[in-house]
Amino acid sequence: MLRTETYTVNFGPQHPATHGVFRVMLNLDGERIVKAEPVCGYLHRGVEKLAENRTYQQVIPYTDRLDYLAAGLQNQGYVETIEKLMEIEVPDRAEYLRIITAELSRIASHVLFVGVYALDIGAFTGFLLCFRERERILDLMEELTGSRMTYSYARIGGVAADAPEGWLDRVEKVVNDLPYYFDIYDDLISGNEIFQARTKYVGYLSAESAVDYSLSGPTLRGSGIDYDLRKAKPYSIYDRFNFEVPLGENGDCFDRYFCRILEMRQSVYILQQAIEQIRETDGPIMAKVPKVLKPPKGEAYHEIESSKGILGYYVVSDGSNKPYRVHVRRPSFVNLGFLDEMCRGGLVADLVAILGSIDIVLGEVDC
Amino acid sequence: MFGKGLVKGLNVTWKEFWSKKFTVQYPDEQHTKPPRFHGKFQLNSDACIACGLCANACPNGVIKIESEKVNKKKYLTKYVMNIQYCLFCGMCVEACNKGALRFTQEHDMSQYFYKDIPLVFVDREAPKPDPETENKEKDDDKSKKAGKAPEKEGQ
Ligand code: SF4
Ligand code: SF4
Repeated sequence: MLRTETYTVNFGPQHPATHGVFRVMLNLDGERIVKAEPVCGYLHRGVEKLAENRTYQQVIPYTDRLDYLAAGLQNQGYVETIEKLMEIEVPDRAEYLRIITAELSRIASHVLFVGVYALDIGAFTGFLLCFRERERILDLMEELTGSRMTYSYARIGGVAADAPEGWLDRVEKVVNDLPYYFDIYDDLISGNEIFQARTKYVGYLSAESAVDYSLSGPTLRGSGIDYDLRKAKPYSIYDRFNFEVPLGENGDCFDRYFCRILEMRQSVYILQQAIEQIRETDGPIMAKVPKVLKPPKGEAYHEIESSKGILGYYVVSDGSNKPYRVHVRRPSFVNLGFLDEMCRGGLVADLVAILGSIDIVLGEVDC
Repeated sequence: MFGKGLVKGLNVTWKEFWSKKFTVQYPDEQHTKPPRFHGKFQLNSDACIACGLCANACPNGVIKIESEKVNKKKYLTKYVMNIQYCLFCGMCVEACNKGALRFTQEHDMSQYFYKDIPLVFVDREAPKPDPETENKEKDDDKSKKAGKAPEKEGQ
């Protein structure tokens, strides 16, 4: 009797479509995927363990290295956790500066996603095109923080430095230009028939399983679940802004991709409002915090909506100047949990489209 | 209609083709860097009081400081930054309240040999604690340093 046999193929760890060093063990039946088992840990640096040997302030630069594509959000999540633990009130101006860096980081991360996703699908032009806008945002961040990617800008109780002169005007200019670029993405990438053929009805993720696997971020919202922490549980000062939470319908790769494009447009609205409001907000950028931070014994968990999903920090304090334990709930890592079921029955080429649509960053997956 | 998206995309390409070029021919041309740029470090060894705040603020133990007591004052004898471990986070510069340590705009810090990587800002003998000779020694030190500086930077 004629029968087919499955065989195993390693996808990665050294494969450009895995966005870093990530390995998927594929069980294939011909070109069809029977099982896809993610293997991670190639970029493990032990950030959580390193944090136990650093003072509370010294942990900030390490959080940059988790999701290095949106470092502003990572910093914000960590410092807000410590502020929750110590019950520190942050001055308004610092909050606005944090929101501006966070939303700029979100756009920078999503813009890169659009480019890299186009590259995954096979369009090299899209990749280089998107770097142009990202560069403009990185230039702004460099001017504010001194670094292009690892900002280390937020501080416990505020931010490191106030905006330099004229910076807000330049941000405003870039922010107002951005929708024009998003239109170009829509024309060049989203509307492209080849791109749609590769991504529509591929990697289906039902709303129920997305919730069951505790997925978050655009991966979850692409399946039509309206859950964005900025709206659902407003942290920081997000309750002061008007914006919408874009949702997908079909839960396929295209919806997850398109959700991010729409999300960037919402970020532009938030930024426009934030710039308007910060102009009327003067004052200090740091709360009064002691030089040596010794939070009271206890623990705190705080989560924010990062560009990839829900980013949570869990910090335990034993009363000394170093954290007893730091744990990070990394959205990229949790979102990967559903990879196997999304891939089953698909083609090998679909795996690239699916993995790209989850938008993982290996620094965050392996921590 | 199939192909509409492709035509739209080509239209974008056509427009972009005529737009202004924004690439910079890197080593020949360079972007200007903002004043806050996290580049190479610079130490003003006269302003530094060897308090060690910068070394304590550093998360990675990059900065090594040695000092000796001369006439009841701390005298900086050694200031070395092992920048191969540096995260360029700026915590050290922020911690220094004498303004002695700062960032410069210089960004090319790569070296051919590992031993050339550490930035040796100060490596000198402490002067004798005799008040008369102290001033002379200091001047000697300064001229010595000025002569040695380019070689130490490892350019
Ligand atoms: S920039 Fe950061 S890592 Fe580098 S020496 Fe200063 S404190 Fe240490
Ligand atoms: S903090 Fe400033 S003054 Fe103190 S040792 Fe460092 S560089 Fe010198």
